[in-house]
Amino acid sequence: MSVGITAAPAIRVANVAKHYGHRTVLDDISLELAPGKRLGLIGPAAAGKSVLLKLICGLEQPTSGDISLLGTSVIGKRESELGEVRKRVGMLFQNYALFDFLTVAGNVSFPLEQRGGLESSIIAERVATRLRAVGLAGSEDKLTGELSGGMKKRVGIARATVADAELVIYDEPTAGLDPVTTQKIYDLLAADQQRTGATVLAVSSDVAALAQFVDEIAFLYRGTILYRGPAATIADAPDPLVRQFVRGELEGPLDEPGTYRPGSAAEGQRGVEDVR
Amino acid sequence: MFGEPIASVGAGARRVAQEVGGILVMTGQVLRALVPTKPFRDWIDTRELWKNLYKMGNKSVPIIVLTAFFAGGLMTLQTGPFVKKLGATSLAGWGAGYAVLREIGPILIGLMFSGRVGSNNTAELATMTVTEQLDGLRALAIDPVRFLIVPRVLAMIIMLVALTVIGDLVALLGASIVGRYMLQIDWPTMYYSFVDNLKPYDFLHGVYKSFAFGGAIAVASCYFGVTVRGGAVGVGRAVNASVVASAVSIMLLDFFITYLSA
Repeated sequence: MSVGITAAPAIRVANVAKHYGHRTVLDDISLELAPGKRLGLIGPAAAGKSVLLKLICGLEQPTSGDISLLGTSVIGKRESELGEVRKRVGMLFQNYALFDFLTVAGNVSFPLEQRGGLESSIIAERVATRLRAVGLAGSEDKLTGELSGGMKKRVGIARATVADAELVIYDEPTAGLDPVTTQKIYDLLAADQQRTGATVLAVSSDVAALAQFVDEIAFLYRGTILYRGPAATIADAPDPLVRQFVRGELEGPLDEPGTYRPGSAAEGQRGVEDVR
Repeated sequence: MFGEPIASVGAGARRVAQEVGGILVMTGQVLRALVPTKPFRDWIDTRELWKNLYKMGNKSVPIIVLTAFFAGGLMTLQTGPFVKKLGATSLAGWGAGYAVLREIGPILIGLMFSGRVGSNNTAELATMTVTEQLDGLRALAIDPVRFLIVPRVLAMIIMLVALTVIGDLVALLGASIVGRYMLQIDWPTMYYSFVDNLKPYDFLHGVYKSFAFGGAIAVASCYFGVTVRGGAVGVGRAVNASVVASAVSIMLLDFFITYLSA
């Protein structure tokens, strides 16, 4: 199935499948994201969202299919060959992936130091600005072990965005944050994106907040992209499964695991084909 | 009837083959990363190297000194009564020194190093792996082998060799002190027993071994750290596997190095 936008995509995922042993996590996924666009990815727990993000970054290899990132294929490449394209990408991990051998400031400055070419005073200034933006001014010298989950998340966001990457991937950017901080973070991410023109791919369980940040939302269900459409109208998506998920309703096809299959005889093709 | 045991043995052999293969692949990656293709500062992360040299070396000195002192003393205690009985006290130092420099020193220090530094290294890398810190490095275009593994491997080899040299000297001192105060063998007798009978090669033989042991401990501890699966339980299993693999490697390497240099 092919769902998406055409012309010079920043992300191109073509017929990708990922199996772990006999377990299929992703099944024939195709997805394109044009430069400068913001796409949200939603879906139930264990739908394969984080795996898809790791495949896109080349952190894992798919079982089959092809993935290009900013025009570079990430399939079958060595770590050293992926270095150049990864320098153009910022990523926030679901579990932060902060380096516990560094302080907060050390974590945020790390991408800039490793890329080189900037004086230490400029790096320090950019780190201070970024930490102020995520509400962590004064925490520069703390070790990551001293931080709460929400603070770690904000350090992760600061690290992912400090280098003004061309493509930024957020895995649950506001999980564990209170509603006010969530709104502040999304405002910050939106302002950053407008300033840099970066392409954004964000996974979030907070669909309402995500829908205000991204242009489009794709729904991943049982390893397949079941729906992709405008973020503003996601709550009124034609697919009942998407509607149920977004509205958080207890009754519906999501409540009956094993009975609903996209494209099955019972449900017809409405899941995917209607929204193309 | 025999199907299940045979299948079990086969599965075990396959697991061992997978681990050995993985360790060899990591050895290859480390050796490739050690080929100098850039200026030293870009080639090896010197900050990580110094940090690991301090952490793995300096902080191991007290335990190594303690182990080596008593190992040397034990050798004198074991051989002393016989050399005294035979009237061959001039060989007391040689007996203790030969055993310590060629075998007991490198093996004991290697095992202590594996227990203290190797297991710590595995736990640290395994925790970094399960908390996605290695993926975080890769996402930032940093090769974990070059940034994390190579400095640790170099630091472990350098420091185990250095600790073995220190341990050898302390063990000879321990042998002399035990000889003097417990067996009444005077200082000059022990001193000349060392100097007249021990050859530089006896000392170098132990140093070669410690070099090989350091490499084996380093690669095994890094391999089990970065291939961990399954959270905290997995970290525990990885540390266990690393210590066992290091101990087995030390014994195998010791046998083959001794055999080949005999």
